[in-house]
Amino acid sequence: MAAAWPCTGQAAELASLADLSIEELADVQITSVSRRGERLADAAASVYVITAEALQRAGATSLPQALRLAPNLQVAQVDAGQYAISARGFNNAIGNKLLVLIDGRTVYTPFFSGVFWDQQDLLLEDVERIEVISGPGATLWGANAVNGVINVITKAAGQTQGTLLLAAGGNREQVLGARYGGTVGPGHFRLYAKRSVVQNTRDAAGTPRPDGRERTQVGWRSDWRVDRDAFVLEGAAYRGESDVTSAGALPLGPIETEGAHLLARWTRDWADGANLRVQAYYDHTRRDEPLLYRPEEDIADVELQHALPWGVHRLVWGGGYRQAQDRLRPGLFFAFVPERRTSDWYNVFLQDQLALTPSLDLTLGAKLEHNDFTGTEPLPTARLAWKAGDDQLLWAAWSRAVRSPARLDRDIRFPAQPLPGYGYYIAGGPGFVAEVANVTELGWRGRLGRDVTASLTLFHHRWDRLRSGQTPPNAQVQNMIEGRTFGAEGWVGWQVARHWRLSGGFTALRELLHVKPGSSDPTGPSALGNDPDLQASLRSTHELAPDHELELGVRRVGALPDPKVPGYTAVDLRYGWQVRPGCTLSLVGLNLFDPRHVEYGGTLGVSEIPRSVQLQARWSL
Amino acid sequence: MRVGRRWLCRLAATGVLVVAVPAWGQADTARAERQIKAAFLYKFLGFVEWPPEAFERGDAPLQVGLFGADALADELALVAQRRQVNGRPVQVRKLRAGEPPTALHALFVGRAEPASGALMAQARRQPLLLLLGDSEDAIAQGAAISFAVVDDKVRFDVAPLAADQAGLKISSRLMAVARRVVMP
Repeated sequence: MAAAWPCTGQAAELASLADLSIEELADVQITSVSRRGERLADAAASVYVITAEALQRAGATSLPQALRLAPNLQVAQVDAGQYAISARGFNNAIGNKLLVLIDGRTVYTPFFSGVFWDQQDLLLEDVERIEVISGPGATLWGANAVNGVINVITKAAGQTQGTLLLAAGGNREQVLGARYGGTVGPGHFRLYAKRSVVQNTRDAAGTPRPDGRERTQVGWRSDWRVDRDAFVLEGAAYRGESDVTSAGALPLGPIETEGAHLLARWTRDWADGANLRVQAYYDHTRRDEPLLYRPEEDIADVELQHALPWGVHRLVWGGGYRQAQDRLRPGLFFAFVPERRTSDWYNVFLQDQLALTPSLDLTLGAKLEHNDFTGTEPLPTARLAWKAGDDQLLWAAWSRAVRSPARLDRDIRFPAQPLPGYGYYIAGGPGFVAEVANVTELGWRGRLGRDVTASLTLFHHRWDRLRSGQTPPNAQVQNMIEGRTFGAEGWVGWQVARHWRLSGGFTALRELLHVKPGSSDPTGPSALGNDPDLQASLRSTHELAPDHELELGVRRVGALPDPKVPGYTAVDLRYGWQVRPGCTLSLVGLNLFDPRHVEYGGTLGVSEIPRSVQLQARWSL
Repeated sequence: MRVGRRWLCRLAATGVLVVAVPAWGQADTARAERQIKAAFLYKFLGFVEWPPEAFERGDAPLQVGLFGADALADELALVAQRRQVNGRPVQVRKLRAGEPPTALHALFVGRAEPASGALMAQARRQPLLLLLGDSEDAIAQGAAISFAVVDDKVRFDVAPLAADQAGLKISSRLMAVARRVVMP
């Protein structure tokens, strides 16, 4: 997201380079500086960046695994392929308050406003960084960026030249990957392919669950630059299939997934720091889950963003249009009425970052987003950032964010066929409106001494009109839960010695939610998510010798309240050995000191996540 | 196929969008490289420890000289304008050919000038002076830190012993980020 957190004018842009940490500075691309409208360390928001180096050192092989590196996210593995991922609570496998983008493409599925994590993958070696913003980002990113934004940014094709071969194999999964990067005319391209096979998990009784799966993806990205114009054209296609699922003794067939997308982006930079970005993409997904539902969606999305310095102001304005055409065929359990629907969203936004004094920035912004169900939703924000010293930033923010209704809220039916003379057990609510959060945040980010960097954020979310149910039968989806959530999140990085780095993080969360008077909701707030009060992690990165590195991670996740899941501690380890330049072997152990544990409960059977040991080889030619 | 035609339409629209855009102007990568180097030079000062006797007073400025790099000196002055290093302001000075590197805490020697080599040779003997270079061979000539542009990024090499001989200490964090740490 260029210009997402813009700074003020040319001088400030130059100054901001000097405010980068020395590590960040060493990673700045010269050709990207002139179009550098943003700077995360200046952002008045809770932002954690997972770098490409951190991804390599952790030995992650899938996107959800990589996201475990962000201390401001909750990542719970549901089964072999499904994950529940959220920030600041409300975590479940159909989590709907997090916006996830891969190279500017929104990957949440509009019909339930959540992400099917088993359908999102890429070659992690191609990732330049993952920006994880906890807290609302609605003004720039739009509805559904309520509790956070995950922004996966891949490297430009020019940075991935040559041939790369990857192979990983162990008791839990096998992964093969290949990439080739070359030049064409004035630009660069890369082609890649990835295939992964994940073994099934077992339940507490040791019975295998039908969640093993395989998946193949091919894709490409091309980049070229003509003077101040940069162009990106990229796309991918994938197909996946799980083990055969069943309902009791009745075999139903595998969960089949497939998708393809094509994205084009044009960015222009002017010498005065202004920039313009125009992006369009098309995304097709299909999911055949015989037990639940069988959605197929086609999404077209166009957006424009223009940032321009204007005296002490830096303005960012833009707009977007998005259309989803879907066909949600019924599964054994659920149906959607109507089965087909075309939905449109459009938005305009304006944000002004105003330098009140050289060290005090005020950002005011608002987005107006229109959806077919509830009309126009205003999404305002106000942020104040005070640079208290060379490496100290204090910030405060207030935002209103909404989770606009999805077809799951309005159109779902359970069971898939009405019972004669009885109707549906549960049905979507025709009166369901947007869920609303008013969010207040207070944060500090800075350096302690020479070798320690840290960040701490306190947050308070006041919720209204959260999704609730009614007592079946003929129950309808309503907006009858309200309350507040609050907590803290923080992290520290310490360069202990030249070859040894320690980093740690935590999140603490309290959820005080209740059903409003007059509602007959039988489940209450537990249907909205199942979250630990506390989560903490510690990582040690040690370069033992120039060719040997050791990474050790410890993660403690508190117990989940409802349904009850005990807390767990997982120890992950990676030992990497660079056999010779370009060729690395590594041994990765996940969950080393624990044969298996549950990370998230489920209604259709609970998977235990077992210990995983894997040998990985990476060879660049 | 249901989606076939729509696919084609949208593909075509995307294509038009990409191709129809005209291009003009000049990208100034040389300036961008200077800006990054200026930011680095400023940063380096915070990761090097000068003994107290290097300064007259506790809040005396850090004196930085640049030779054969006037444009970089301008960028550095802009960076240093509003900020300090460990409570000290930074003063930037452009050195002329033949001017001795006296009353300086750090000296950056550009690679372009014929007199660069002689200045390096003169400065490497000077105590309490952080010598910075702009090319890979500057380390061999006695620089403690020197830039190297690799894959569109500005990186740097560190020679801790050179700093040590000048009575300066380089932080381990800086060495952790360095592309190479050169030991003789």
